[in-house]
Order: sequence, then structure tokens, then C-alpha cells
Amino acid sequence: MENETLKLHELMISRGTFFCYSGPLSEEVLTSLSGAVKEQLSDSEDLPVVKKVFGIFVEQAQNIIRYSVDRLDQSGVGSVAISKTEKGFMIEAVNSIDPKNVDRLEEILKPLTEMNKDELKSAYKDRLRSGPPDGSRGAGLGFIEMARRSSKFDYDFLAHNANTYFVYRGWVE
Amino acid sequence: MEMAGTTRTPEVKIDSSNCSIKGECYPEDISEFSGPVMEALRENLSSSQSFTVTIELYYFNSSSAKFLFDFFEYLDQAGNEKQIRIIWKYRTEDDAMEEAGSEFEEDMENVSFSLEAIN
Repeated sequence: MENETLKLHELMISRGTFFCYSGPLSEEVLTSLSGAVKEQLSDSEDLPVVKKVFGIFVEQAQNIIRYSVDRLDQSGVGSVAISKTEKGFMIEAVNSIDPKNVDRLEEILKPLTEMNKDELKSAYKDRLRSGPPDGSRGAGLGFIEMARRSSKFDYDFLAHNANTYFVYRGWVE
Repeated sequence: MEMAGTTRTPEVKIDSSNCSIKGECYPEDISEFSGPVMEALRENLSSSQSFTVTIELYYFNSSSAKFLFDFFEYLDQAGNEKQIRIIWKYRTEDDAMEEAGSEFEEDMENVSFSLEAIN
């Protein structure tokens, strides 16, 4: 049981992870991964569920591409995975961040985990109208979109091996 | 103006009286996509009095939501002087696209905006 490959296989199977990518993520890589994710989702599930899972996956992947501080050329290094659990689909991502950004992220994310559907819709529309905040490389809507498409959304900041990791997860029932 | 669709960008056709956008929209670089579309829209709309826009999207990401917002805002402004009709098509079972369409509709004041379910 010391075989790494077998350990990886058993971990993935035991947690229902049917898709996982770890490493440098670029827009080109995301194009390829999108096809695979869509293909895997299209088999069994109904359209609204598939679209939520896919939407959260794309926002998470683009967040890694744009904001991971661990970089390789145009790529951001991180992991993104999709699992089928007892609580529905879980879409999860992790990338390293600058510890200086923890407070700023907390300020953005905490309210999103507490808002109901209507409040999230208002936050989304307000952000559309006001435009992206300073430091955003997109529309500044990614986290609101993840929270809107999720039945549950959480996040954590973990210090590990001299890095600060940002973990964020969404569930779709 | 005609742009072929790709796996991540919709097919776009714009002439002097119509604009149609159909497909998936989560481009690698949103400004590379939106720049030529907005330019063609401005050119064609300037010489037109009556203009119809048909949108049939299956998915768009949050960066594209910003493009769509700006695109509709531009059309709504133009609607002060011109007759503009927007048709938002969505697949019957696609509640996310239906909701997205009705959210854009809420902000429109000077154009006719209709939602149309397709099979």
C-alpha cells in the first residue's frame, strides 16, 4: 500500500472526484479542460445542474490563471477539482496567494457566504454597474458568480510550507 | 461583419439592420472579442434607423457578463433615437439563461426587449 499511484487513485475514488487538474493553468489549458469537463457532466445530469457546475469551474479556473501568485509564464499554478458527493457536486479550487491579500479577500468573501439569492443578485448587478474594483483583471464578478451558482459556498486561508493557500469551494445540489 | 464561432466564442453577424450572437461566450481574452464586435455595432448602427439584435447564448462567464451589460447599455442609449429590438433566446430548460435575459431586460428603457424560449 506504499504505492503513490494507488494512493492517489484510492483518494480520488473515495471522495468521488471524477475530475482534477493540478499544475500550471493557462487560458489555452482551460480551453482543453472545458471540453473534458463538459463531456463528463453531459452524460447523466440535467441542464441547470450541468450549467451551474460548469460555471463555477470556469470562474475558479480563471481565478487561478489570473491571481495565483505561484506563476509559470502566463500560467497560474493551482488545483481545481469536481467531485460527486452526498451533498451534490463539489467544485473546489486552491492556489497560493500573497498573505497581504487575506484581509481584502475576507472582506469580499465573508458577505457572499451570508447573502441569500436576492442579495447575491443585487450584489452582482451593482458590480456590473459600478465596473471592476481596483486590482481586478476581469469584471470583478467571479466570486459573486461562484456564490450565486452554488447552493453552498465556503473558503479558507491556510498557512503551509511558508506559503499561504486560498481554498474555495462551491456545492451544487 | 462576420465572426465564426469557436468553442469559447459565439458566432457573430452584424449588418446594417441586424446583429446576431449565437453560441458559447467565455473568451480567453474578452477585450480581443468585444473590441471588434462593439466597433462593428457602432458602425452599422450609425447608418440605421431600425435595428434588430438576436442573442442566443448557452453559457457566458462573468467577464462576458460585463461585455453584455455594456453592449445592452449602448443599445439602450441608441434606442433614444432609433427603433431597436432585442430578442433574447434561451433553451426552454435553461433557467440560468432565462434568468440572465430577464435581468438584462430590467435595465432596458428605450428598446423593445423580448425573451423567447426555443427547443
